[in-house]
Amino acid sequence: MVAVISTTGVLGYIGPGAGFALAGSFLAIFAAIVSALMMVMFWPVRRLFRLLFKKSPPKKPRFKRVVVLGLDGLDYGLTSRLLNEGKLPNLARLRDTGNLNPLASTLPPISPVAWSSFQTGVNPGKHNIFDFLRPDEKTYRPKLSSVEIRSGKKSIGYGPLKFRFPTSDVRMLRKSKPFWSVLSDYGIFNCVIRVPITFPPEKLRGVQLSAMCVPDLRGTQGTFSQYTTREKSEGEKTGGEVHYVNRNDDTVECELLGPPNPNKPDAGDMRLPFTVSITGQQSATLTINGTQHSLKQGEYTDWISVKFRTGFRSNVLGVCRFMLLSTDSQFDLYVTPIHIDPEHPAMAIGYPKVYPIYLAKQQGPYATLGLAEDTWGLSEEVLEDQHFLQQCSDIDIEREAMFFDGLEKVPEGFCVCVFDGTDRMQHMFWRYLDESHPARPAKVPTAFATAIEDLYGRMDDLVGRTMAKCDDDDTLLMVLSDHGFNTFRRCIDLNRWLEENGYLVVNDDERNKDYLAGVDWSKTRAFAIGLTGIFVNRAGKFDHGIVAPEDAAELRDEIAAKLRDLVDPNSDAKAIKSVYQAVKAYRGPYKENAPDLIVGYAGGYRVSWDSAVGRTNTTIFSDNTKAWSGDHCVDPSVVPGVLFANHEIVTTHPRLLDIAPTVLEMFGCPVPDYMDGRVLEVGDRKAVDLSAQETELEVA
Amino acid sequence: MLTQIAVSLNSIANPIGQVLLAPIEWLPGWLSATLIGVVTGVLMLVVFKYTSNQSAIKRTRDQIKANMLALSLFKDDLGVSLRSQGRLLTGALRLILHALIPLAVLMIPMILILGQMSLWYQARPLRIGEESVVTVQLADESTDAVQAITLNTNDAVEVIAGPVRVSSKNMVCWKVMPIRDGQHQLEFKIGGETSLKEFVVGGAFEPTSQKRPAWDWNEVVMHPRETPFAPDSIVQSIEVTYPQRDALTAGTNNWVIYWFVISMVAAFVAKPFLNVNL
Repeated sequence: MVAVISTTGVLGYIGPGAGFALAGSFLAIFAAIVSALMMVMFWPVRRLFRLLFKKSPPKKPRFKRVVVLGLDGLDYGLTSRLLNEGKLPNLARLRDTGNLNPLASTLPPISPVAWSSFQTGVNPGKHNIFDFLRPDEKTYRPKLSSVEIRSGKKSIGYGPLKFRFPTSDVRMLRKSKPFWSVLSDYGIFNCVIRVPITFPPEKLRGVQLSAMCVPDLRGTQGTFSQYTTREKSEGEKTGGEVHYVNRNDDTVECELLGPPNPNKPDAGDMRLPFTVSITGQQSATLTINGTQHSLKQGEYTDWISVKFRTGFRSNVLGVCRFMLLSTDSQFDLYVTPIHIDPEHPAMAIGYPKVYPIYLAKQQGPYATLGLAEDTWGLSEEVLEDQHFLQQCSDIDIEREAMFFDGLEKVPEGFCVCVFDGTDRMQHMFWRYLDESHPARPAKVPTAFATAIEDLYGRMDDLVGRTMAKCDDDDTLLMVLSDHGFNTFRRCIDLNRWLEENGYLVVNDDERNKDYLAGVDWSKTRAFAIGLTGIFVNRAGKFDHGIVAPEDAAELRDEIAAKLRDLVDPNSDAKAIKSVYQAVKAYRGPYKENAPDLIVGYAGGYRVSWDSAVGRTNTTIFSDNTKAWSGDHCVDPSVVPGVLFANHEIVTTHPRLLDIAPTVLEMFGCPVPDYMDGRVLEVGDRKAVDLSAQETELEVA
Repeated sequence: MLTQIAVSLNSIANPIGQVLLAPIEWLPGWLSATLIGVVTGVLMLVVFKYTSNQSAIKRTRDQIKANMLALSLFKDDLGVSLRSQGRLLTGALRLILHALIPLAVLMIPMILILGQMSLWYQARPLRIGEESVVTVQLADESTDAVQAITLNTNDAVEVIAGPVRVSSKNMVCWKVMPIRDGQHQLEFKIGGETSLKEFVVGGAFEPTSQKRPAWDWNEVVMHPRETPFAPDSIVQSIEVTYPQRDALTAGTNNWVIYWFVISMVAAFVAKPFLNVNL
């Protein structure tokens, strides 16, 4: 503008496009210089203000920075074996500078419970998370245990000028306080990336990106879509929807299902039409929202932004990836669940709200769904192994970029990032590791024979890169997992067992209905739902409860005693290692919400797929023939996690519960009395002779 | 060479401008200036879209925004903040680099468009009876010519005063007064050579060339309508002093600012519809 005004002629301007770009650049340069000057000028003032008026840790911090790298489900036994075989050189180096311990998980050893204990330092009786699901006291239908999403309406104005608009109320059901909140109180900066059970995000000093339980754009925990010209088949795909479409010459018209329109709640789900034009034997062009994208068979597109119009100039945005599966005789297209667009989040998925936007600007779109890897796509045989592997690997790359950015941005403070691809991959590929698994194919594809070992190798590389960024005495680096892993060969239908033993009554013709719909509540004393819990149908707790509270203890003892003796007729092995009573296992104000009994399955066993969602079969035991072939919903003693540190952890038998108080102690912050964990003694960092290490590896 | 290119480009731009900008003659000034601003703004935006590396610009813009957000998210550590500042600066410089190609592509059409517009808006034609000064600039070595040059009067213009011959500056001036509406030619004679200059009298909006320029690319760009004098010509330039146009939107000098603002606003409004990254 100055250039234009100051010239008598017209040569100072070169068009609005380049003009904008130049003006924008100069503005950015100007803003950068001014803010840099302001920052340098005010920095001492801010430091002084913090020193004088903000709470600081009463003790001298032991470390400037504590970094926790969470590798969900990294198994202690398998890690130890691979370490001994010399296949994990970086983890070996980490072990040698500090040490490696088995890390005791929680009861039950499943991610929502375990990560809740990790972040709060308390047992489940105090943080209120006992499983993925919990039954509704009125309907018995399962609901998410960690979050409640309610839709409502808000209004502004008065009388005829009163405007109503839809809102959603997202409530965290995890109780207690994460230790980073305590750190925040003492002015310590936190960077918390994708730690499960951090949705909805809570206020803290620092940044946070939520993970497990962040819904997809449709409000589910992840619903994939398949578009096919195949003949309609009976039955539904779990975790996904099949859309039967027609092919006209080389064009297929499809519709992507979105969330319900908040402005027209009765109109059903919003639909976004898209077209696939088949251009070759293994290629096609996708046209959606007016933009074109090329599709190649077996290859994912990048994240594609999808826009659902809710009204004039108002949209809900998501991101998803497409993959052409087949064009030959039949057309098949896979679409990932529609993730909330991190650049334009439809709801808060991080704290502060701009943090997910910052990450999206920094590294491009990324997976935001709580359970980002689409295990159902593989389990339901829509995806193939390599497709799932690619998905996991891509998400890991995204996560690594976030984590390393966090490490760079937090030279002092606490930084944690959880990689959960390790958990999903082991769930889906364990059948290639376990030679006796019922889902193991007769001929294991060479590419996947060592899929899990390769996964551990990739994580080892990640640890190596992390160590390179934490290679100083002022940083405590911990690499840990929330639980280990085990094979899942046999399914146990707990509801069938309860039925056979007279505790549960099912209407025979409604046996296959989900969510305990076929159960006769007037005659049922106990039922199972979720992954490890049995609930006593107590009067006063459940709407149709029939067991008097004073009889509950006796009933629990009786069921526990009988269940412990459950033997698999196929192998004559005991299928249950232990049965725990919540009243004894947990302490805290929320233990009443826990299942009455928590089943500790023996290695190789787990609750059946049907029983987990409230169906009742006609047999107790069955083979697990699904790709979901590894699991950890067993007795905690069967699946310890790992705890590596770059300083020696002197305390023996560390538990996941102990991490929170230990981190607080490392920063010189007092450990709150309510925490159940103890402070682990952290020793020194040992010097490692790298040349000796290399020789050792060569020998191995 | 540059002058020849400028002359060639003007020879294309003049007839096109004559046709495309013809509605200026009968439209209100503010409306024509606004319409031209909107159309050129959108057109330039489209050109920018297809001559720039849009994905690289989007990436760079995103990086700049990320670093701006980083300044507020990670303000605790001075080192981290200064690093973000540094990246912000390099991002801004990269953005300038990305704008260089479209800038090069857009520069010539923009100069031509603005040259054509200046003919309509920079000055107003003379009215009958309104006095004006005509100045002839002669070549340095032609001191005799200062004395010899004459202005032939005709039925459209009357010489009020002059010629005033300034030998030290090789310049001759006349004070003239138009007496008839229309696009006229002033005829100057020196020896056997005749030099012409457009002389516009009448309407509110007519293309008005203030100067017939010398053989100089800068002059040719600024005064595109009339053929420049040859480099070896005794007469180097002839300038007529036209009155300034008093209007906020289409007045002298104001028109370019107004056009700048309108074209920017139009481009800004059109940006999301045309999906352009700037």
